[in-house]
Amino acid sequence: MLVLVGLSHHTAPVTVREQFAFPDERMPGALLSLRESGVADEAVILSTCNRVELYAVTRLEPPRAFTALREFLVNCRNYRDPLTDEFYSFSEPQSLHHLFKVACGLDSMVLGETEILGQLKKAYDLALQNGHTGARLNKAFQRAFHVAKHVRTETNIQRGSVSVGSVAVELAEKIFSRLGDREVLVVGAGDTSEKTARALLSRGARSILVSNRSHDKAVALAHELGGEAVPFDNWAAEFARVDIVLSCTSAPHFILDRARLEPLMKLRRNRPLLLIDLAVPRDIEPEVNFVENVYLYNIDNLQAIADGYLKQRQAEVARCEQIIREKAEALLVHPHSPPPSSTTRLALNPDQSPLKLM
Amino acid sequence: MIYSVFLWRNGFRRDDRINYLLLLLAFGLHTAAMLQRGFRLDRCPVHNLYEATIFVMWSIVALYLALGLWTRLRFLGAFASPGLFALGVFALMPGLDAPAGARPELSPAWTSLHAALLSLSYGALGLSAVAALMFLTQERDLKFHKLHAIFSLMPPIQRLEVVVGRLLVAGFVLLTLGLAGGVVDLARLDNASAYRGDPKIVWSVGVWLLYLGLIVMRWKFAQGGRRFALSVVGSFLFVLLTFWGTNVLSPLHHP
Repeated sequence: MLVLVGLSHHTAPVTVREQFAFPDERMPGALLSLRESGVADEAVILSTCNRVELYAVTRLEPPRAFTALREFLVNCRNYRDPLTDEFYSFSEPQSLHHLFKVACGLDSMVLGETEILGQLKKAYDLALQNGHTGARLNKAFQRAFHVAKHVRTETNIQRGSVSVGSVAVELAEKIFSRLGDREVLVVGAGDTSEKTARALLSRGARSILVSNRSHDKAVALAHELGGEAVPFDNWAAEFARVDIVLSCTSAPHFILDRARLEPLMKLRRNRPLLLIDLAVPRDIEPEVNFVENVYLYNIDNLQAIADGYLKQRQAEVARCEQIIREKAEALLVHPHSPPPSSTTRLALNPDQSPLKLM
Repeated sequence: MIYSVFLWRNGFRRDDRINYLLLLLAFGLHTAAMLQRGFRLDRCPVHNLYEATIFVMWSIVALYLALGLWTRLRFLGAFASPGLFALGVFALMPGLDAPAGARPELSPAWTSLHAALLSLSYGALGLSAVAALMFLTQERDLKFHKLHAIFSLMPPIQRLEVVVGRLLVAGFVLLTLGLAGGVVDLARLDNASAYRGDPKIVWSVGVWLLYLGLIVMRWKFAQGGRRFALSVVGSFLFVLLTFWGTNVLSPLHHP
């Protein structure tokens, strides 16, 4: 029987999660000692910043297996503080449902995110390479990866951006034909503007200019981003060449207003300009948005878009859970059937196909 | 048109293949009907207001079908369909499909070429106005932070601006060629100078200058964005609203 014991961001604060986290190099040893203890025949440990979960195939009755696996985790990580409801435990079919939900990003802090699937594959690979998985876990994890792919293609659970940086990129893609020709000016070398600039660079933005009240910081960030530092007193002079401006200074007043921008727009020969004001208090006067070819978004506007995408994703959860239920039931009813691949889905009768573990 | 309303209401979030296929089907039937009429009359069917309207509609759809090969430009169909429907209803008004009266001795081939080129030109200018309308919608939604501007599958506004500009140039070149064909045809008449003040000729020169002005503003003075799109839509509306009137007033075109 496949059982699961774990804790996640839903049940435990980071102060607890960090103490249970497994470094990669310690996982093979931990899995070996778990199997040698006789509690589990097969096991996989998933350890990320948001969860530590132990998937095990055991011959013990679920209540005994849960207790043994919790004790193993506590002892293995040498945890001494009292625990209340931090751990959750599931046996079949809930353990399988949970694994599929995790693979699809339905249990993640950012609903529908895809990073968890890579982490799950890595955890499974590590256990597989060290010989700690067998037919049962191989089957469950292979099917989980298939379900994640199916959910991604059949639903909108992963569509759109739910972080401020990615929303800024999407906005730029709604305005400019290609991001590859665009120059970005970052005013204020803060963490949020750096993340947003990195997101734009990762989608192909041509170059980055950085301006900051402390020029040394501007030079350091420009160096990190492969860009160019611009003196803070002179950043507006770059308006003729830039297409996207990210502003995140700690100035207590507007650093850009309509009166200052209008003459600068003439130098741009009516090319569109995307202004992203990430600062609180705001750096850019809202009136600027009424200048032709200027598109101004502040942090609340970006958050509203991110929330909109999140609502779209939440509306898809029921569909995803239905798919997960069906796939989990199919696996439990026909434990030896392989997951139908996209190319063989129609051609093969899964009940008659040979078992493929990898 | 009903499907276009559905796409509008859904915020252009789904692939517009159905709208494209519906217009493709309509285009096939439209082409068959025009061919049938052309073979029956033994000439290009562009000799009265009904035929001219139908030919302009045909040109708009033909150009749309070509542009619609780029997935993101398929939504142009949703913007064009209501206008096409209105034009189609207008073309069916009684009196527009009147047989041509006694005309001056013009060459049928040159007349057909002149009318066909102009109809194609108005088709391109019409689709340019449709793309400009799409630009204005998307631009306004982006300006005022409407969520559906982000969630929709519409193309970036900069690409729409390029499409508007290219269609405008294509329409202007066809307009120039069509008018030049008309001038050559008219020059063959003995009393050609009698038609110098013909309302349709004066109007055509005005329209040509209007579009020349738009092109100069765009490429010489980098006019772009909302103002340019509004000018394109306004210019085509002017053509739509005055074409029929000047045609009726013209002794040359409506003898």
